[in-house]
Amino acid sequence: MNNLSELHLDALAEVFSIGAGRAALSLSEIVGDEVRISVPFVQVINSKDINSTTLSLNSGRFGAVSQHFSGPFNAEAVLLFTEEQALKIVSDMMGSQMSLEELAEFEHEAMCELGNIILNACLSAMADILNFTLESSLPDYTVASADEILQRLKANSNQPYVMVLHIDLAIEKRHTAGNLVFLLSSASLDNLITHVDQFLGKIS
Amino acid sequence: MSEISLKPFDMNDIFNTLNLGVCAVDADGKVLLWNDWIAKHSGIKETDALNKPLDQVFSEPVSPSFLTAIKNTLTYRLPVVLSTALHRSPLPLHNISGADQQPTRMYQSITITPIQSQQNESCCLIQVTDSSTSIKREKMLRAHSEILKKEATTDGLTDICNRRFFDAHYEMAVADAKRQKYPLSIFMIDIDYFKSYNDHYGHVAGDDVIKRVADALKSQLSRATDIVARYGGEEFVLVMPNLPQEVAEQFAEKLKSAVFNLAMPHIKSQPFKQVTISVGVCTGIPENNDNLLNKADTALYQAKVKGRNQCICLPLCEAEEYLEQ
Repeated sequence: MNNLSELHLDALAEVFSIGAGRAALSLSEIVGDEVRISVPFVQVINSKDINSTTLSLNSGRFGAVSQHFSGPFNAEAVLLFTEEQALKIVSDMMGSQMSLEELAEFEHEAMCELGNIILNACLSAMADILNFTLESSLPDYTVASADEILQRLKANSNQPYVMVLHIDLAIEKRHTAGNLVFLLSSASLDNLITHVDQFLGKIS
Repeated sequence: MSEISLKPFDMNDIFNTLNLGVCAVDADGKVLLWNDWIAKHSGIKETDALNKPLDQVFSEPVSPSFLTAIKNTLTYRLPVVLSTALHRSPLPLHNISGADQQPTRMYQSITITPIQSQQNESCCLIQVTDSSTSIKREKMLRAHSEILKKEATTDGLTDICNRRFFDAHYEMAVADAKRQKYPLSIFMIDIDYFKSYNDHYGHVAGDDVIKRVADALKSQLSRATDIVARYGGEEFVLVMPNLPQEVAEQFAEKLKSAVFNLAMPHIKSQPFKQVTISVGVCTGIPENNDNLLNKADTALYQAKVKGRNQCICLPLCEAEEYLEQ
């Protein structure tokens, strides 16, 4: 955490913005409409301090898509949307083909796909730009409160750091904000910093 | 003894017995694997598919997002899912339900994962599952739930909305009017001397009166935003957004006339000797603790006191009332 400077965070936000651009392109292709995704900022938080308040998440139910990434950089990446947002995004993506009620059956799978597109795009952009290769598990989707999801993440790993990406996703005129949460082991964070340093060294 | 012979099954048998489509393509998109499931549902034999570019194997086009997903998996080595919801039917695969029936296009869920060939080539494995059954089940359940939902919110005798529906609708209508600052009108309606009607003509005839009054009230509504519900025994309630006070007053008179014009005899009802209603209306833009329903009920009570077959309209705003007094 101490080693990660503003410069590092800015560089990461830049890298993820490129990934977000790729994700937006894929989503636009599926929706047949312009989709814009941006990453306004990146935070790294000590996982002890992470809860729904520090992430400014409300008390509603959340849909969480998670994938385990491994390589020089090991992380569980989780994309969080409120359940309402998730349904709206999916219904927007599906156009007028289906009503909100009809979505229930498909929501799970469609959210997996949406999360998969965004997570893959962000991670592959990072791998591309910072020059390493990653492997990943298939996406999982769960619905629970933000604290339940965060508790589960913390219980499943003793990773000391959490990297949080705030994401804005807009389909046509509708804006939806989501959070992409990465759980990082300290070794992973060190490796990540090394790669970011190499990247910064190359461009400066 | 070699290790192979210890294996209880030939993996090829397993591969071809799977109730799931499995195929693999190499870095150039050429087919390396093609199991029996895929052959059966595509109508393309393994021998005709192997070593051909996947998009040229089929006679019909493959969806562009499927091809993008393959390209992404081959480039970035990350797994991709294609959901039924967003893609429906990316590959031209079909289900044949009966000999004389046309094959139907299959709804699919697809998973694409990076895999390495034994020659260390970067390939990808494509798994296809049939989601047609779950879609069919979902449609059936939805149809059932539509029927149940309608039954749960409809009054059995009159076929208009029931009290349960009204309670939920009223709360939403008030919240909407409050937020968007438009007036909401609540009409409380009661059939005059209904107890005497039941006592004199019997309950079957009484039920018939309730039905006919409900029909008469319903026939007066023309906007999709308006609802009429059975509030209790012989009581009805109408919720109508966006009516100026004077229009609401005129509408109450129309409701009263509609029932009067049914000309249903009621010997015990003085002085008209026919079935009439009393109407209490309250119109206003709801604010914090305003209770339109209570006010409409007060208006109905006043209409009863005033001699029945009457309409009384009260504004929601207390101040106006004080001024009148």
